[in-house]
Amino acid sequence: MATQLWAVILIIFGTFVGSLGPILFKKASDKLSFNPFKLIKNYMLILGFFFYGLSLIIYLIAIRGGELSVLYPLVSISYIWVSLLSIKYLNEKMNLYKWLGVIMIIFGVSMIGIAS
Amino acid sequence: MATKSWAIGLILLCTLLTTTAQIFLKLGIDNFPQLIFQLQTILGIILDWPLILGIFLYGIGAVLMIIAFKGGDVTVLYPIFASSYIWVSLLSAYFFADTLSLMKIAGVFIVILGISFIALGSKKHSAIEYVEAP
Repeated sequence: MATQLWAVILIIFGTFVGSLGPILFKKASDKLSFNPFKLIKNYMLILGFFFYGLSLIIYLIAIRGGELSVLYPLVSISYIWVSLLSIKYLNEKMNLYKWLGVIMIIFGVSMIGIAS
Repeated sequence: MATKSWAIGLILLCTLLTTTAQIFLKLGIDNFPQLIFQLQTILGIILDWPLILGIFLYGIGAVLMIIAFKGGDVTVLYPIFASSYIWVSLLSAYFFADTLSLMKIAGVFIVILGISFIALGSKKHSAIEYVEAP
């Protein structure tokens, strides 16, 4: 089965939606409390679960449109989104080593995908 | 913030749960060749135990991730998720007798190297912070 373009676009969209999950989870973890009432009011937590879950549904639909060996490596684009969003919204810092690490992960995952 | 080792351990556990969850989700969703939203399909999804187990494990993984994030930076902890590609390659070689080609082994090695570089990068931050704040 040839990989459909819509599946590729859907996966890339899914990685972005999914990246919002960890960012919101980090925001939520700062004021994490095991009081059920406070948990319900932790909007970051609820939004995080929403986006994290939504990305899973997007992936499950997208993998019907192509080869896993092509689509699977694309998921690693999420490491770029998470790094960029962490700089912007979590005031975290990236440096040359971290970016090289992200690029190596994507490269390695692509090799695993092609080899599959 | 320096990344705590318990947070790294928790993320590794989380990766294992998420990877297992993905296998069950794949098994579960394969029971539905077409996504037609009929009552029968919806009932089928609710009663589809691999799918439910997959969602459950994925959820626990998310909860552990949130707790782990209390102990470090997202830019350091999140990339550790890439270790799932290592587990999948090794486990499918072991259980499904998938061949571990040279290319695959090289890919796994580069992923490990990438995660190590990110760890190294986080150490560099700490070193700079240490110098700046005596």
